[in-house]
Amino acid sequence: MDTVLSIKNLTKKYGRITAVNDLSLEIKKGTIFGLLGPNGSGKTTTLGVILDVINHTSGEYQWFGETPSKEHRKKIGAILETPIFYPYLSAIDNLKIVANIKQVSTDNIDNVLQQVDLFERRNDKFKTYSLGMKQRLSIASALLCNPTVMILDEPTNGLDPQGIAEIRNLIIEIAKDGKTIILASHLLDEVQKVCSHFAVLKKGKMIYTGLVEDVSKGEETVEVSAEEENIEELLKNYKGIKSVKPDHNKWIISLHDGHNSKTLNTYLIANDVVVSHLVSQKKSLEKQFLEVLAASDQ
Amino acid sequence: MLRLLNIDLKKIVNYRTFWVLLTLYSILIISIPTSVMEFLKWLKVKGANFEGFDPLKIPVLYFPDIWQNITYVFAFLKIVLAIVVIISVSNEFSYKTIRQNVIDGLNRLEFIGSKLSTILMLSLYSTLLVFITGLITGLIYSPNYDFADIFTGIEFVFAYFIDVLLYLLFAFLLTVLIKRSGLTIALLVIYLPLEYIITAYLPDSIQYIGAYFPMHAMNNLIEFPFPKYVFQEIQDYVSIESIIVATLYIAAIPWAIYEKLKRSDL
Repeated sequence: MDTVLSIKNLTKKYGRITAVNDLSLEIKKGTIFGLLGPNGSGKTTTLGVILDVINHTSGEYQWFGETPSKEHRKKIGAILETPIFYPYLSAIDNLKIVANIKQVSTDNIDNVLQQVDLFERRNDKFKTYSLGMKQRLSIASALLCNPTVMILDEPTNGLDPQGIAEIRNLIIEIAKDGKTIILASHLLDEVQKVCSHFAVLKKGKMIYTGLVEDVSKGEETVEVSAEEENIEELLKNYKGIKSVKPDHNKWIISLHDGHNSKTLNTYLIANDVVVSHLVSQKKSLEKQFLEVLAASDQ
Repeated sequence: MLRLLNIDLKKIVNYRTFWVLLTLYSILIISIPTSVMEFLKWLKVKGANFEGFDPLKIPVLYFPDIWQNITYVFAFLKIVLAIVVIISVSNEFSYKTIRQNVIDGLNRLEFIGSKLSTILMLSLYSTLLVFITGLITGLIYSPNYDFADIFTGIEFVFAYFIDVLLYLLFAFLLTVLIKRSGLTIALLVIYLPLEYIITAYLPDSIQYIGAYFPMHAMNNLIEFPFPKYVFQEIQDYVSIESIIVATLYIAAIPWAIYEKLKRSDL
């Protein structure tokens, strides 16, 4: 069975507010799926429904092609929003409860605590942890059952840059093991670095879904600056040029397919121009995301 | 069921408040009969005048009277155990750990089962403690008794178990509805007089249903025993009807909790 999760026409209403609106989604085995969207777009509600903590209004979902049950959740490592543990218990005791619920051996506890670098603090109470440590403990907890699927909802929320980098590397490490990961985030840079697929939610509706690598495929933007006077004219005469815009002492250039910074530079050198600055930029997920959101407003 | 008990015990055995309350409760149970006897002795020493009657001869703690007397009095202490239950359940809501438990693979029914198994254990512990305390107290203070007298009226210990179990389940239900520990404890405390006021004002035509309200159902298990020492008639047995009514509640409350949690977003 290749499909890990399939959601069909899922709707969740809170009174008059529709938090998730007719959402359909399929996630294949081994993908790292980024769920994007502004705050309040229904990401957490969707994850809450597929983890059975939120009742849905209509539609259905399946885990591994089967009717969802607690047995599926035992094989899924999931964290939703903030890390949740018993504050008066140590990391070890908290993870023992999780192991007991998931009916897995407690032998793995030391291992996962080492993986998230919390082994030294394993006997300290959860309430004494910093936010970063709490986030790391929740990832340890999600890893405890050696899950085939992980659901991480804003795993880097509230962390400092170092903490964000640590968690990101951890996710990349985990992904190498061939696990399916569903990552909800509004840090687009994160998603672009980590994910293979992504979907954009807005007001509970899915407005875009695609491959992360396709985002950067499209057209290339090149920044150029040179001291020669005739640079603007030369650039405009280049056959692959789409547009040229001045920006301070640089030129921002869009190129047609089949042209890139290398062909442009060859052309300039052939015309006796040596550039002092040449940067090639592919489209970022952030730009794509903002475009998708803007397009949905029209 | 053992797995569910194990899960819930892991949550409370390292929780200080749990041990504080349980110790307090146990000390209260063990110390009350001793205090009563010491008090009667003190009365005698001080020469209190019972019209020539020796206060130590009042058979409150003699077999077989002791069972109804101590179970009646000890039933007032069940509030301490109810507070344990309320805190244990409300913590799950305030820490949101019920949500994480479900995410991790417990379903709502199992969550309820884990709390029920702790409630059952607390009720059994309380009953056992009362039984042993009663047995020892009776053996110490009864001046002369037949072996058969020891277990006469032992059904009050069973009724006491039903009483405590029902009260703790009632506290569980209230907590699931209210979620906040302080508010739930306050409501539990005022509910008893409130129920008695409500039932007092029931119209005559339906006055009889008053006996089927939850607190009445509990209190009807063990009737007030002490008027017999001033030669009034009391109900000195556990009525089958009261057991049936209480058992129905015991079956209905977990169902009500499940219906509530099933519909809730956690």
